[in-house]
Amino acid sequence: MIRFVLRRLLSCIALLLAISILTFLIFEAMPNSNPALRLAGRTATQVQIDAVEREWGFNKPIYVQYYRTMEKIFTGSVISYTQGINVESQIVSDLPPTLSLAIGAGIIWFFFGVVFGVLAAVRAGRWLDRALTVLSLIGVSTPVFFLGAMLSFYLGFKAGLFPNGDYVNITTNPVQWLYHMILPWCALSAVFIGVYSRVLRSTILDMVNDDFVRTARAKGLTERQVMVRHILRNSLIPIVSLWGLDFASVIGGGAILTESVFNLQGVGEYAAQSIQLLDVPPVLVITMFGAFFVVLLGAVVDIVHAWLDPRVRLSA
Amino acid sequence: MATPINPLERLDEQAVAGAADPPFAAEGADLPPGLGPYKIAWRRLRHNYVALGFGGLFLLILAMCLLAPVYAADIAHIGPNDESQAFNALGPTGIPIGPTWHAHFFLGADTNGRDVAVRLLYGGRTSLFVGAVATLITMVVATVLGTIAGYARGAIDGLLSRFFELLWAYPALLLGIALGVSLQLGGLNVGLFTLHGSSLMVPALVIGVVYIPYVAKPIRAQVLTLREREFVDAARQQGLGPVRIMVGEILPNLSSTIIVFIPLILANAILLEAGLSYLGAGVQPPNPSWGTMISDGIRLIPAAIHLTIVPGVMLVLAVLGINVFGDGLRDALDPRAQVKVRFAKVRRSKAAPAAAAEDTGR
Amino acid sequence: MPKSLRVLLGATVVVALGAAATLWATAAGAAHTATAPTVTIVYGTAPDYLDPQKTYTTQGGEATWVSYLGLYTYAHKTGTAGGIVIPALASGLPTVSNGGKTYTMTLRKSLVYSNGKPVQATDFAYSIERAIKLTWGGDSFYTGNIVGALAYSKGTATSISGIVANNATGQITIHLLGPYGAFLNVLAFPSSGFVPTGTAMTNLSNTPPPGVGPYMITNVVPNKSWVGAVNPYYAKEAIAGIPVASVTIDAKVESNTATETEDVLSNTADLFDTGDSLTPSLLAQIKSTAASRYSTIPVVQNFYFFLNTKEKPFNSQLVREAVDLAIDRRVLSKLSGGTIVPGCFFLPPGMVGHPTGACPYGINPDGAPNVAKAKALIKQSGDLGTAVTVYSQERVPRTQYCAYWASVLNEIGLKATIKPVADALYFPTIGTLKLHPQTGFADWDEDFPNPADFYLLLDKNSIQPTNGLNYGEVNDPKIQNAITKLDAIPSSQLNQYAGDWTALDEYTATKAYDIVFGYQTWPEFTSTRINFKDLIVQPSYGWDWTSIHLNG
Repeated sequence: MIRFVLRRLLSCIALLLAISILTFLIFEAMPNSNPALRLAGRTATQVQIDAVEREWGFNKPIYVQYYRTMEKIFTGSVISYTQGINVESQIVSDLPPTLSLAIGAGIIWFFFGVVFGVLAAVRAGRWLDRALTVLSLIGVSTPVFFLGAMLSFYLGFKAGLFPNGDYVNITTNPVQWLYHMILPWCALSAVFIGVYSRVLRSTILDMVNDDFVRTARAKGLTERQVMVRHILRNSLIPIVSLWGLDFASVIGGGAILTESVFNLQGVGEYAAQSIQLLDVPPVLVITMFGAFFVVLLGAVVDIVHAWLDPRVRLSA
Repeated sequence: MATPINPLERLDEQAVAGAADPPFAAEGADLPPGLGPYKIAWRRLRHNYVALGFGGLFLLILAMCLLAPVYAADIAHIGPNDESQAFNALGPTGIPIGPTWHAHFFLGADTNGRDVAVRLLYGGRTSLFVGAVATLITMVVATVLGTIAGYARGAIDGLLSRFFELLWAYPALLLGIALGVSLQLGGLNVGLFTLHGSSLMVPALVIGVVYIPYVAKPIRAQVLTLREREFVDAARQQGLGPVRIMVGEILPNLSSTIIVFIPLILANAILLEAGLSYLGAGVQPPNPSWGTMISDGIRLIPAAIHLTIVPGVMLVLAVLGINVFGDGLRDALDPRAQVKVRFAKVRRSKAAPAAAAEDTGR
Repeated sequence: MPKSLRVLLGATVVVALGAAATLWATAAGAAHTATAPTVTIVYGTAPDYLDPQKTYTTQGGEATWVSYLGLYTYAHKTGTAGGIVIPALASGLPTVSNGGKTYTMTLRKSLVYSNGKPVQATDFAYSIERAIKLTWGGDSFYTGNIVGALAYSKGTATSISGIVANNATGQITIHLLGPYGAFLNVLAFPSSGFVPTGTAMTNLSNTPPPGVGPYMITNVVPNKSWVGAVNPYYAKEAIAGIPVASVTIDAKVESNTATETEDVLSNTADLFDTGDSLTPSLLAQIKSTAASRYSTIPVVQNFYFFLNTKEKPFNSQLVREAVDLAIDRRVLSKLSGGTIVPGCFFLPPGMVGHPTGACPYGINPDGAPNVAKAKALIKQSGDLGTAVTVYSQERVPRTQYCAYWASVLNEIGLKATIKPVADALYFPTIGTLKLHPQTGFADWDEDFPNPADFYLLLDKNSIQPTNGLNYGEVNDPKIQNAITKLDAIPSSQLNQYAGDWTALDEYTATKAYDIVFGYQTWPEFTSTRINFKDLIVQPSYGWDWTSIHLNG
């Protein structure tokens, strides 16, 4: 186990390094115009552009540039020239809505995905099964920002059942916090619930004929016992790792689309605004940290997966 | 939204990786003589009315969008950027009119007084064009690189696999944003090849690159097993070079995998384009696209909801059409469908043995 | 450990970590919130600067004109009375001598800054030097009028020779290059506000320097929020006509006007920035449910599309007349959410000299355009099919005005394409001479109530290599002669020359150098907490913070 963990962490670190280099290349070494111009933003004067060029070392060799960029990022000193603020401190203060959104939605879609998946597997071919198929297909085909806009309009504005967006800090008013988060949670989880329930259903159905199940049945266990004790536990494992990856990618990206619709003022919305303004420093930092987070969480999930399922350790 | 890459793909990967056989046994096992594997698949597909219906829906949408200039000139009598009717299309405070269900402003007007129906069709052309080109880029590059990686193995495979891992580990939306923002600001200038920042090829290229690993990895996995097959050995004995073998022997056996991936990638590419354009990192104004139309519409939600609903619904229908058809296609080509049929027998044997033979599909 | 327990444990660990992370981040976020405000003003655009010698927008000016008093300031009254200049740090109106070229005044005694330090007469020269050094957007008002200011700005002098100040007597004398009737208004700019000598000659928007005034700007979070705190030292030196502050202002930038509007409508925020447009989708609701706290006030501000009079196709009078006929000003009004009043003359209503007669060429700003005639004129001019680049800002609704303008040009037979420029760089870009922009959006908001301010834009001297204000390179001898003659008239005699300004403006309209499409109105919209009747909107700077009181 230890060896697996070490190996996994090592490859994770290598991947993180590669990601940082790729991000650096994308933003600062593309074979097109002046990178200082790009970082300084579209509102910069020539004086500002020259200052940026000196500060980030664009007149130096590329490895110096890379080093400077990483140094700035990891010492928290990246400044957004267009908006005049420190990017990392802005990100930190914008974290609560993003975390609320991702964790809440993650819990909801995991719970409902499992419940519906099990129900669909047990009642294969019936209406629930078909309904879930339809739901999952629509969920995979609908952009989350459109779904969010529809929910916000019909349930929020028209029906007045929910507020029209904005974020209330959980420490200020927990009830309001919950009330404001319900629609964003629904929008974000709807996309995943259908898919997860179908995946779980397929996994369960595939397992039904496996040897160990037949053995359990032969031993005289009831269908329910077979289902819960053996099938469910085993089929949850891939779901958990899937969940980990998707959760990471929500924080790493999907939140961007949902937050801007509901005006949650989290990291995602900050990224969306920076993109609109073509303000590169925040986009640079957020994409890199997003990718980092995904890779790290992927490694954690793999390790948890290996701990739960010893067969995985051998195949790594 | 495309960020949760359809886990069905991940299943595909596992299935393909685990399958010792290509989808059709070259020896023709229990197939009626004279019928090729595609004929079998087509038969199965032909009976899947749902998949065909949705595929038809997508083709209908595609046709409508391609005929956008005809609609603009002959029916609506107004171009996509034409604001000459703005006075009639806007209320006193600038709120655009909703759908009139007549030839003029059939689906209403947008905030600039332009015809939404016309822009919807032109926007569809853009979105579908970007999606199609991106899919083409992904499929071609991923197939080539995946085949080379799987066949060559060794150092080349190592290098390519690292490349795939890196691209794959980077969340699709973030990578799309990073590339989109960077290219938008400066365009691309590689020797003779120049792309202006606002060209449509930029989002197409970005999306195409993002999805490469999702196809390349399964293809590589399949090639890894294929190269050990006897017919590849035989070809080598005959003295055929690696390129001839890859193109002549291996590629045809990848065809069903490739076919199955095309609708999957197309659907995701269109969704990613919508997402990127919505954020401003994809298609740039004045080119209309469904994503930019939705982002314009969301600004005016309480007053003019049609601006959001119209492009959104169109987008969902188009992608749904591709997805359902793609699922049907996969079912037709995928032997795992047999598993489901078998399983259905087991499940129902208690209640209705007669119904067991029915392919319950999903 | 049994399998099920392991799964449960694994899941619990993940959830617990996540919850802990949320709580930590939430607490961190909570620590950043400011102290409770008294009155909130919401803005859709952050001020360009909060440094008095840098800011040139209404959002910034609103904060600085009550925090950095200069020798003179504007009366705190509504309407045209708010355009009258009153003494602030000067003890009285100046003595003007030497044919209008010398201004003499005395500093009030015992004035102190918001940090308690005493005010000196020599601080005035320093403040003007700072405005020039920091290249304030209107610095040409100084360099073009005060002796020695141009030399200072070029670096050939270390101080402005035309300003003489005596700290012992408090007397200040200013020598001008030539008589300039509106010079008193120049002294009333917030950029002419006093800052202590020695204040750093760099942009201090994040930590604004001390000043004299009812308010002081503190707690600046760039582009997000700032606080207008009551200046504790002002009450003692309270100057006649400039009231003491009674509320603390919590100023916040919102990301979009829809949120801004909703906040004020729902009483979450107190005042809506006058420089923003209410979101059109809520206007109907506001008019019906919040009529007692909403109104619009006309503002002396025009909107126009400049035309490059030196290059094809707009160097042709026929083409200029054509586009003037083709534009539907009612559409632009609609695009503005109904806040723009259609019009065709360069001088807006409310400005001395605004013509009240009919527009030239039979144009009716409130009626349908004459597209057929426009097309005919284009054909006649021989410029059919000429390519035109339309420079456009990026924010709504200005980007829409330009999209419409391009559409009009295309409709009549030109080939227009839009070139968007980032908002903050837009005016410097179109003011760059070597680009020779063919056409684009422009607007002008009065700096002071004198037509000379508007005709600055049509003055050939405003054609500069950079930061030029005469975007269309207009150089018309008839206009030039009129400007030279009328600029010298002191503001106090303005009304006698109203007829001359009107004649000039009517002439300008016939030449169609700039296609004016309308004039601005500002929204006055507050929450129910605010005493609406007492509120004053300053014609150039927006809300008069000293007029904000709570109800009851």
